Amino acid sequence: MIDCDIHPQIVDPEPLLAHVVEAQREWFRTQPYFGLPGYSWTHPSSWYRQDLAADGRPPGGNVEAVQRELLDPSGTLAGVLNADDAVLVSLMPSPYRAAALARAHNDWIREDWLERDERLRGAIICPAQDPEEAAKEIRRVGEDPRFVQVLLCGGAERPYGEPRYLPIFEAAVELGLPVAIHSGGEGMGIAAPPGGAGPVTFYIEWHTLGSACSTMAHLVSLLVHGTFERLPGLKVLLIEGGIAWLPGILWRLDTNWRALRSDTPWLERKPSEVAREHVRFSTQPLEHTDGRDDLLWEMLEAAGAPDVLCFASDYPHWDFDDPAFMLKRLPEAWRERVLHDNAAELYGERLKLPAAA
Amino acid sequence: MTWHDVGSVADLEREGRVIARVEGRDVGVVLAGGELRGVRNRCPHHGGPLCLGTVEERLVGEPGAYALSGASVLRCPWHGWEFDPATGECLDDRTLRVAVYPAKTDDGRVLVDL
Repeated sequence: MIDCDIHPQIVDPEPLLAHVVEAQREWFRTQPYFGLPGYSWTHPSSWYRQDLAADGRPPGGNVEAVQRELLDPSGTLAGVLNADDAVLVSLMPSPYRAAALARAHNDWIREDWLERDERLRGAIICPAQDPEEAAKEIRRVGEDPRFVQVLLCGGAERPYGEPRYLPIFEAAVELGLPVAIHSGGEGMGIAAPPGGAGPVTFYIEWHTLGSACSTMAHLVSLLVHGTFERLPGLKVLLIEGGIAWLPGILWRLDTNWRALRSDTPWLERKPSEVAREHVRFSTQPLEHTDGRDDLLWEMLEAAGAPDVLCFASDYPHWDFDDPAFMLKRLPEAWRERVLHDNAAELYGERLKLPAAA
Repeated sequence: MTWHDVGSVADLEREGRVIARVEGRDVGVVLAGGELRGVRNRCPHHGGPLCLGTVEERLVGEPGAYALSGASVLRCPWHGWEFDPATGECLDDRTLRVAVYPAKTDDGRVLVDL
């Protein structure tokens, strides 16, 4: 099993701050939560699995916890550490602070996490509001083959197909890294509001719409801007934005592509075909279907599943998908591909799985 | 195959198209790139009156750049799907094709062969 979405928590700020350049360290130390944008919509009880919370602090705060609570019981061969709130550096008003914190977090992941369990892999965070600087950070960190993807957050100033973001995608392709876009941050800091109809009211709205709508927006944007035509080696992994909507949005996009092609005449192929080749989706949080899983699988098959789905647990969050539960829920014919093969292909050589795998 | 009179050259030149009922079918002749093209006036996508659409030069280009292709397309007035007026092929869904017919002018009249 390969897990595309594990969130290491910053329980003690000092080990992370130790990687911040000295001239900025005090600023980050004195800001609420490192100066990252705060949540306007918060979970009514806990962001985390409450069976794991220790001493009122977030679970998943060290390698031992991840081993004990996720990797060992699930038999995970490789798991990707995606920055939790720290990915929101892209939404900080100051690109300079964002660059410093991204750099520190990447170094913290490398030294405090990757060094301590060979099953763990890293995701590179970067200041997306300053794409040239982001590209530099991707090239700096990407030299270490244990980093297997670039990580952007769903919240953004504009959808990621906008040409301003090209340096990020170019750097990723140059290093053979997929770009993962993880929902979150919508409406926070300098990000556009979630949902597309103005700021929402409740966390339930934010969690339902923000993540799905930003994921759809980035997917459609990357496709219509011809990002994959510009960068044929680019692979994108969309994480935690839901997937039941996927066939619908691709059908809708294909329909509009035929009707409105003069708007984007560089699109020679149906967007859904391009998506199938270049875009992968994490399974979590797989929608509950009120007993109609058969319908869900049929719909997803129309959108390219099982070849486009990659397992993700989202440990240690409250809405995580338990690996053992997912193993039973997925159609048997899909399991090997979704739980292992698709991610192995996406990450390629950098995964360097043990030969026994 | 028989040549059928579907309108006047004057109407074709003024409107860009002429349409008539021929053997139970609506058939149009459009001017595309200086050529006469006989096309069935029924879009295979949704049944719209295809010949009432516009003849335009198809756009192409690299991502972010717009260029003229030099090739004319007939764009359906209902949903904008584009067809090659010479072959009838839908350029955005190769599984669809509209019937096309030879067309010519003779003594001020537009004729189509079907």
